[in-house]
Amino acid sequence: MHVKPESSNRKLTIDNNACNVLPDIGLDLGSRRVKLAFRTAETGELKLYKYDTLTFYREFAVRSREGFCINCEKLGLGPVGKIVVTGYGRNNLELQGAQVVTEITAHAVGASVQSGLDNFICLDLGGQDSKIIRVEKGAVTDFQTNDKCAAGSGRYLESMAAILGVELSELGKYWENPVRLSSTCAIFGESEMIGRIVEGYPWEELCAGINRSVYVRIRPWLLAYKPEVIVFTGGVAKNQAIVRMISEHQEVRVIVPEHPEYNGAIGCLHVNL
Amino acid sequence: MKPTTDNRQPTINLQRDTHRQPDKRIGITTTIPIEVIYAAGAVPVDLNNVFITDPDPQAMVEQAEFDGYPRNICAWIKGIYSVALQQNIKKIVAVTQGDCSNTCALMETLAVKGLEVIPFAYPYDADYDLLSLQIEKLMVRFGVGWYEVREAKACLDDIRARVHRIDQLAWEDNRVGGFDDHYYQISCSDMNADPGAFRRQCDAFLKQAEAAQPHREELRLAYVGVPPIVSDIYQYLEGMGARVVYNEVQRQFSFPRPVDDLVEQYRRFTYPYGIFRRLEDIKLEIARRRIDAVIHYTQSFCFRQIEDLILQQELDLPVLALEGENPGPLDARSRLRIDSFIEMLKGRERHK
Repeated sequence: MHVKPESSNRKLTIDNNACNVLPDIGLDLGSRRVKLAFRTAETGELKLYKYDTLTFYREFAVRSREGFCINCEKLGLGPVGKIVVTGYGRNNLELQGAQVVTEITAHAVGASVQSGLDNFICLDLGGQDSKIIRVEKGAVTDFQTNDKCAAGSGRYLESMAAILGVELSELGKYWENPVRLSSTCAIFGESEMIGRIVEGYPWEELCAGINRSVYVRIRPWLLAYKPEVIVFTGGVAKNQAIVRMISEHQEVRVIVPEHPEYNGAIGCLHVNL
Repeated sequence: MKPTTDNRQPTINLQRDTHRQPDKRIGITTTIPIEVIYAAGAVPVDLNNVFITDPDPQAMVEQAEFDGYPRNICAWIKGIYSVALQQNIKKIVAVTQGDCSNTCALMETLAVKGLEVIPFAYPYDADYDLLSLQIEKLMVRFGVGWYEVREAKACLDDIRARVHRIDQLAWEDNRVGGFDDHYYQISCSDMNADPGAFRRQCDAFLKQAEAAQPHREELRLAYVGVPPIVSDIYQYLEGMGARVVYNEVQRQFSFPRPVDDLVEQYRRFTYPYGIFRRLEDIKLEIARRRIDAVIHYTQSFCFRQIEDLILQQELDLPVLALEGENPGPLDARSRLRIDSFIEMLKGRERHK
């Protein structure tokens, strides 16, 4: 996106009277990326932006005594209405004037809005978060998330792709004859992968093995939740091989919405507080 | 049950100034028949409680790691190890069956350091004869007979009755918060190593709690599993409008179903006898206390994490599995999971 030169240091706060006329913002403060969603005041068109998390905090967030503020002018957004924020940084950031929802709510709403469904299982695999959410009649009725370990998350895929020197989009094309990998830890996975490379496995099978290890990691959830329809969100949902592996699981129908990475931010934009 | 209101003092030999006479202190690794220890004129010290109330419990964990304890082992075990050494405990009763299998290695490492270790095993099937034998062997070890043990039991039961009233004030009268309910019940494992002082503390608390304004939280929670290593879970939950009105294992430490027979008392203690006895108690209390949802707390690297799948299957309520690793406040990820759970529960309430 185009970042306007900093013309002023205007800080973002909520003006309740203006909420009806100014565009609202949904903000997902993820571990790897900050995702922002808003609709333009003129046409109501959905606009989506993505920033490296550290860059976002460094470039667009201003710390004040009251907490963090977002420099909207610098973001090129102009005046905005309500801000709803979710993600790992939602409480730590204490974003001035923002309303906070948990990732579970944000992703459930986002997946519902994007898929048009009221009854589904949302599977969200992000940079370090993995979560599965049961949505019934539009309400969250159950969920699970990873807890002390981020193995098998998007960060693992990034790490493994870097070792093979391959783009994530290329990695996601391979699912046949996967090499068996025992570790989904982004750290130990590296040494195991190097061992497999030395053993001479074909590159395609190594890629498939990486994808399969992510699938194996979340398979117990699929068995427990017995989904009929999965709305698959988060950056990992762009990996076609993993989508295919899940689809073949008990012939479940997998829907990858148009903007899987922005699902949390879109959810924030539509959540009914 | 209401506590008696008479002012008689416990007749057992109370050892108050424990630091000056350290040889009287007997370290314990979880709840054991402390009647035997008090009957012998000694003082049980629950090393878990000393560890977790230390100003810097994390330093205890690190000390054990310096001595070679693996990083991926329960922090409670490491804390007990360091506390036993730091407090210069000479003798320890270690529960080798019915609590945690790591305790066996714990007592071996403490034995190497020169501590006298007395093993105590709860029989898996709560067999009366086997348990009776264990208690009698403990009595022989401490040189006491049934008469003294029963006398000690009467004194301790008197204090336990006060704690039962505190628990009742928590769930039935809603006048006691989750942390206080946890604290008074968990303290029953060793009576804070000073039954007289603990009894007075209970009385003072009861006086204040009986007159307290009732809590009016939106959600009533059960806390199931071993006591938390994190320090602020009860306060954090209450800040979100959810109060713990049932502390499962802590309540067991107070022996909520009193009985005259000491062996039977320790048979009714559900904690050491596997998940199914615990489940019976949990289901009963969930219904009685009108619980909305359950937090199942497990310690990192603990075998009880496996039992979570049974709890999830057996309980009809929403269950949040929460894992704690090191002492200190809740970490960001645990808070995130609790936030999501409470938000979901409130959403479900609205959809009813």
